Amino acid sequence: MTSANPSVAAGFRSWLQRRRGLLLLAAALVLFPFVISILIDGQGIGAVFSNDQGNARFLQGLAIEIFILALYAISYDLVLGITGLLSFGHAMFFAVGAYGFGILLKSFDIAWPVVVLILLVAALVQAVLFAIVLPRVKGITFALVTLGLASVFWIVIQSSDLSDWAGAEIGLQGVQPPVWFLDTTNERFAFYLVTIAILIGVFIVYTRIVDSPAGKVMVAIRENEDRALMLGYNTFWFKLLALTVASITAVLAGSLHALHQPIVTPNVAGLGFTVTALLMILIGGVGTISGALVGAAVFRLLQFYLDKWFGGASDLLIGLAYVAIVLYLPFGIVGTWRAKAVQRQKGLDFVGSLVSGRKR
Amino acid sequence: MSSRATDAKAGRLSEVIRENRTRVTVLAVLLFLFLAAFGGLDREDWFSTIMQGLSVGAITFLVASGLSLIFGLMDVLNLAHGEIFMLGAYVGWTIYTRFDTALDIVIPLLLLAAPFLLMPLWRMLASRLGATPGVRRAIGWGLLLGGGLVTWLSVTRFPLVIWDPGDFASSPGSFSTQIDLNVLEPLVADSFSGAAALAIIGLILGGSILALAMSSFQRTATEAAVGTRRMVTAAGLVALAIILHLSKSSINEWVFGLSTSWRFFLAMAIAVVIGAAVGAFIEVLLIRPLYDRPIYQLMLTLGVGFILIEVVREVWGRPEFTMARPALFNGTGEGCPGQGIGGFFSGCSTVEMFGARLRVYNEGFIVLVGILVLVGVTLLLKRTRIGMIIRAGVQDPDMVEALGINVRRVFTLVFALGSSLAALGGVLAAPSIGLSTGMGALFLLSALIALAIGGLTSFTGAAAGAVLVGLLQQLIIRFGQQGIDLPFLAEPFKPTPTLVPAASVLLMVIVLLLLPAGLFGRSER
Amino acid sequence: MSLLEMRDVHTFIGQFHILEGITLEVPEGAIVALLGRNGAGKTTTLKTAMGLTPLRSGTITFDGVDISERRSFDIASMGLGYVPENRAIFADLSVEENLRIAERQKGDFARKEEFIFDLFPDLKRLIRLPGTNLSGGQQQMLAVARALVADNRLLLIDEPSEGLAPVIIEHMMEAIRQLSDRSTVLLVEQNFIVASRLAHHYVIVEEGRTVQAGAMADLVNDEETIKKYLGAA
Repeated sequence: MTSANPSVAAGFRSWLQRRRGLLLLAAALVLFPFVISILIDGQGIGAVFSNDQGNARFLQGLAIEIFILALYAISYDLVLGITGLLSFGHAMFFAVGAYGFGILLKSFDIAWPVVVLILLVAALVQAVLFAIVLPRVKGITFALVTLGLASVFWIVIQSSDLSDWAGAEIGLQGVQPPVWFLDTTNERFAFYLVTIAILIGVFIVYTRIVDSPAGKVMVAIRENEDRALMLGYNTFWFKLLALTVASITAVLAGSLHALHQPIVTPNVAGLGFTVTALLMILIGGVGTISGALVGAAVFRLLQFYLDKWFGGASDLLIGLAYVAIVLYLPFGIVGTWRAKAVQRQKGLDFVGSLVSGRKR
Repeated sequence: MSSRATDAKAGRLSEVIRENRTRVTVLAVLLFLFLAAFGGLDREDWFSTIMQGLSVGAITFLVASGLSLIFGLMDVLNLAHGEIFMLGAYVGWTIYTRFDTALDIVIPLLLLAAPFLLMPLWRMLASRLGATPGVRRAIGWGLLLGGGLVTWLSVTRFPLVIWDPGDFASSPGSFSTQIDLNVLEPLVADSFSGAAALAIIGLILGGSILALAMSSFQRTATEAAVGTRRMVTAAGLVALAIILHLSKSSINEWVFGLSTSWRFFLAMAIAVVIGAAVGAFIEVLLIRPLYDRPIYQLMLTLGVGFILIEVVREVWGRPEFTMARPALFNGTGEGCPGQGIGGFFSGCSTVEMFGARLRVYNEGFIVLVGILVLVGVTLLLKRTRIGMIIRAGVQDPDMVEALGINVRRVFTLVFALGSSLAALGGVLAAPSIGLSTGMGALFLLSALIALAIGGLTSFTGAAAGAVLVGLLQQLIIRFGQQGIDLPFLAEPFKPTPTLVPAASVLLMVIVLLLLPAGLFGRSER
Repeated sequence: MSLLEMRDVHTFIGQFHILEGITLEVPEGAIVALLGRNGAGKTTTLKTAMGLTPLRSGTITFDGVDISERRSFDIASMGLGYVPENRAIFADLSVEENLRIAERQKGDFARKEEFIFDLFPDLKRLIRLPGTNLSGGQQQMLAVARALVADNRLLLIDEPSEGLAPVIIEHMMEAIRQLSDRSTVLLVEQNFIVASRLAHHYVIVEEGRTVQAGAMADLVNDEETIKKYLGAA
């Protein structure tokens, strides 16, 4: 006991050291509503706790949306960016969470811890469903299969047969928060803290996964699957692992979405929502875990302000921005920033050669 | 040495047999299942179900064939293909219903496009803009903004008769109703606000500045002279625009005087041209820079699809509307429905054959066009030099290039061809399924499933897969009405329409599990 | 003046520096053999000359014209024919189509038909067969014949004897000797005996660099060089 203590303390200190940036960010996020409340709303600290209307409350709501999107983006980054699986059905992962959580709470009146367990099983099942074809197909064909599966879900969820539960084309409404700290309407600050905690927890788990031996294999699968196979790894299990982890994360994000939004529309199951995930990790940088967070923040803020300024044309502008990013910023914000750092350090032209490519 | 060669040959042979054994088994099982399913139908139903399946299959094929050609040759899965299909429908509807507005928008577009033909000139100018690429790029952004401004200012000076989707009386939906009742009136044309010459020159100037801006972003400046042919074409476009503007009212009068059938054929022709132009534009400007990054190409086409949807929403509005069937396929009254094969040419809307009632447009005309396209493209691939180059390019584009053939130009051509087929599919589908911004995604999904089933790079596979998907969908819809008697179930099981896509996806997954390269695809690429 | 000149050519494939300074000259009318061990960069040299892999630095001139920046089809149109290592026959095309696709002007094939079928009588018999059905030797013949359809002044031939039976190698050598009356040839050849009997000049490549060049007659007697760069001859 006495001998263990100092080493635990030292370990904790070194952990603090390593995660300094993340902890600072977390602290800043926790303080953020208070700062807004005092500086912009002219209200006191108490206004945050008492859930008063104002910019602080509104911006917390926006931030929660960003956190949920970040969870979703991070999970897609694990599948596409880290493991290199071209899935076009990722929206289904999110939508199963959103609809599943909402329907189980609203229509079946099940205790929420049980709902979480059921959803965990659902997440596993859909990951296996996606992975079922993986031993035989890859690349484009896998993209088609996932697109097909997700499209079926999208069509089924808005069919009139399920309208009693899923609300057909309008969407799922009237999900009541099961406990006080998941109540975004009346206890927004609590919900805000919960989402921050979840996001940071997931972020730490993801960085650990990427740094772990399993993560190395996932990257190896992306770079050259044949070589990974030759090194003796059964790549299927690593792909399944990536899909499972991503599925659980996305289901989690979807559940939070169902709690936070007054209505879950079928759009979250459509191809458009997968493109949203793609756009977010493209903005942040494909294959960079922190890029997914940056991408989610930039995307949501961009969407918010474009919508505010241009109204109906905002979707068109987002589409144009997406195309421009694919063409001119292929490594995203974080990726480009890191590449620049590498260039500065080593004077390597490596990334440049990747971007300029070969002529054809 | 020779014994090793024989061994290798024998090995290859047995491999081919083994491979084809699964393929033949799968085909046989599919055939059996379909026959069994048709056997479960009432006698007068099976023929109409087959024909309806072929009709859906024909439209799916028009989308899938382009996808397959493009993917086969350049490994680009064009996910914007469904939206080109949708665009074809909307453009076709516009030519058919509101030709006057289409003519109005064509004139400024022609003027804007003309300077882009002189690309080599702009590239040469751009290379002299600034010493470093950074400076050039900065100037390029400035030019882009300036050019956009000039273009916008000039376009707004043009007399554009644009409907207002927000106002029902002048929305696409009500135009469709008007043409159905034969009471469609041409919209009143505006005149130029300000000097016409100024607007025309402004637009050409805007186009030039935009073209210059675009060339300044290019990395390498290739030295090439502006050919006289390009000059003449550009001048021709400007002249055409001016002539169109001057003779606008008489052209409109002539077109609105035509019967709806001729207008429909005109709509098909123009939609094909527009589809080809959009395809070529996408390939040259957006796909070409990314040939080294295939995943990004895929992502890009997704984005292009969403932009096209938003453009359609802005111009034509969000609500769905219908397209009136041309008179040739819409007759009723005396002598209708027609009987037998001859009934297809009687001008009736329906025809009776083998005890089944078919719609002349859906089950006759669409299927006919589908077959014509299948035959035409097959002949193109097998009999012409360009087809030969495409077939060779599917296998090894680098080697084709090393023979002195400009493969990039072939890429553009094939992209344009594929897009034009999709646009043709769109116009054809519009009178039967109506127009909505979701139609592209729906048929893209069907086409992708058809391709995956048939084999991604196989043109025959695209046709077979499309027919298969079409038949499957119609079968399930028919069984949804009729119900299937299943053991252990008291009530007949009635599949809901929701199960239609689910069944196709299931078929795709099963086929892919057994044959990862599809029914007709080659196993390794 | 040399027909083809490469000066200090550097080429990357991805991030790998494959050619690290290739310098060579191919005089008009000659057969030049490019020699070296496996992985020395011989194939990449041909591909770079053909514009199939872009060069990072250095210059390549053909008939005095700089072709370093040109695209492959442009280079080919100037009169370069390419016979790649894996033969790259178009499997879905018939033998005739494989030849016709190489036409640069209408009637190229008709003009050359006799000459090609004199060199490779087998092909005439197989003319309707699809490319997949040919044996290795027939594919090699077709690949060379394809490069002869257009008026090419220089042929880049990669490993024509690879994987062929001795009888067919003899046939192929004879064909190359005959076609060299019409065009200059730059030949990559692993089999030193074949190379020494065909070529007038040689260039030895080692680790992406030109290390030695000269007349083939001198090399044949220089056992030390042969052993050092080409392994036991």
